Amino acid sequence: MRTCVITGASSGIGRASAIMLSQTREYDNYALIGRNIKGLEETAQNMASDINVYIINADLSTPENLPHIVDEIAEKYGTIDCLLNIAGYTEPASIFSTTYENIQATYTINCFSPFILMRECAKYMKKKGGKILNIASTAGMSPRPGWVSYASSKAAMISISQTLTEELAEYGIKVYCISPGRCATNLRKKLAPDEDPSTIMQPEDVARIICNLIGEGGNCIDGQNIVVRQKIK
Amino acid sequence: MYSAILLAGGKGTRMQKSVPKQYLLLAGKPVIIHSLERLDELDEISEIVVVCEREYTATITQLLTQYNIAKEVVFALAGQTRQESVYNGLKKAKNSMVIIHEAARPFATINDFKRLIAANSENALLGYSIPYTVVEGDKKLDGILDRSKLINVQLPQKFSKSELLQAHEKAFREGCKFTEDASLLFYYEKSNIEIVEGSNYNIKLTEALDMLIGEIIYKEYIARRR
Repeated sequence: MRTCVITGASSGIGRASAIMLSQTREYDNYALIGRNIKGLEETAQNMASDINVYIINADLSTPENLPHIVDEIAEKYGTIDCLLNIAGYTEPASIFSTTYENIQATYTINCFSPFILMRECAKYMKKKGGKILNIASTAGMSPRPGWVSYASSKAAMISISQTLTEELAEYGIKVYCISPGRCATNLRKKLAPDEDPSTIMQPEDVARIICNLIGEGGNCIDGQNIVVRQKIK
Repeated sequence: MYSAILLAGGKGTRMQKSVPKQYLLLAGKPVIIHSLERLDELDEISEIVVVCEREYTATITQLLTQYNIAKEVVFALAGQTRQESVYNGLKKAKNSMVIIHEAARPFATINDFKRLIAANSENALLGYSIPYTVVEGDKKLDGILDRSKLINVQLPQKFSKSELLQAHEKAFREGCKFTEDASLLFYYEKSNIEIVEGSNYNIKLTEALDMLIGEIIYKEYIARRR
């Protein structure tokens, strides 16, 4: 029995990944962590019917409880084999409008909570190996005026992923980092409210890449920032 | 089942650091953790006896939690000498068979431990050929040693606890000092001690240069093994 933990599965890339991955039968148990319970339940309803889904009500802006939650998942299913850190947060603002609360919330949800989840899940993956996938962003690779907290937090996530790829290699734990470009998600609407979502990449496009990495293939491309975006027309 | 005795009482004087070498970071984690993680993975080992200075038991206890070491770990106090430390560890061990290892050798692999355990003799050591010429002498050369007959003694080693304890007690009574336990056991009991082929990666971190070499060994030999 293999277990996958996913954050951000109530919508967007997280939901598409949870649904698509469940159909591969790669994992038997799924723990979906989030605070939008209704959204998570909708996701669970669309996942394969012969898998176990455990919905955990948790707010990633308060990471203190995460170690306990990971222990609970490991106790319930006996193993943790995969972690998908997909949840994200943004509150775009210029330097002069960016409050401490804004940058703190952004870093907590985009970096600190994913880090705590990686640390705690890796404790259970140490003996048998496992896979971790973090969602960064192309915003973390190039300057975007007005996105200082979001873009810098994603740059940090790229670095965290690369560092932990080296540190966890000994245990057979692969760390993947994906940087999607413009993708039709709720988060993107906050960054580009006037954009027509039908003209950009869809969550399923990114989910397909995630399933490839987390499934049988993709084993040799850990440790690098994998950019996922539509070709420039 | 085996009790592992992990020697971690060294002061690291030759390393010229304020912290003993077993607590320095190697590839991002304390040197002692490299060995504790391997021992934790081995089903044949039911307990780990960590021999260390009293002041470091809290540090090690915290590391055991942080790194999720699941196996039972007990502490024995480091002695004035390595020999005394082993003796203290032996007295704490519950099982009739022991594996002795030292925290300053972080590159002994799971496979090394498994081959040692699989050795036919109750007593066995890891040993490796000596690739350089060794002579006797101090200020002048007194004699030539045949290196084809010499072995670089490494750890881990495995022993019957009762045999080794008996030999240690004789050494204590006679005030004899040995630098490692296979020699001590052979001297007193003439026991059959099997030599299992070791590896030249399994170095002991002794001087500052060894930490630099260790980082390379970790990257090429340990991190890439999976």
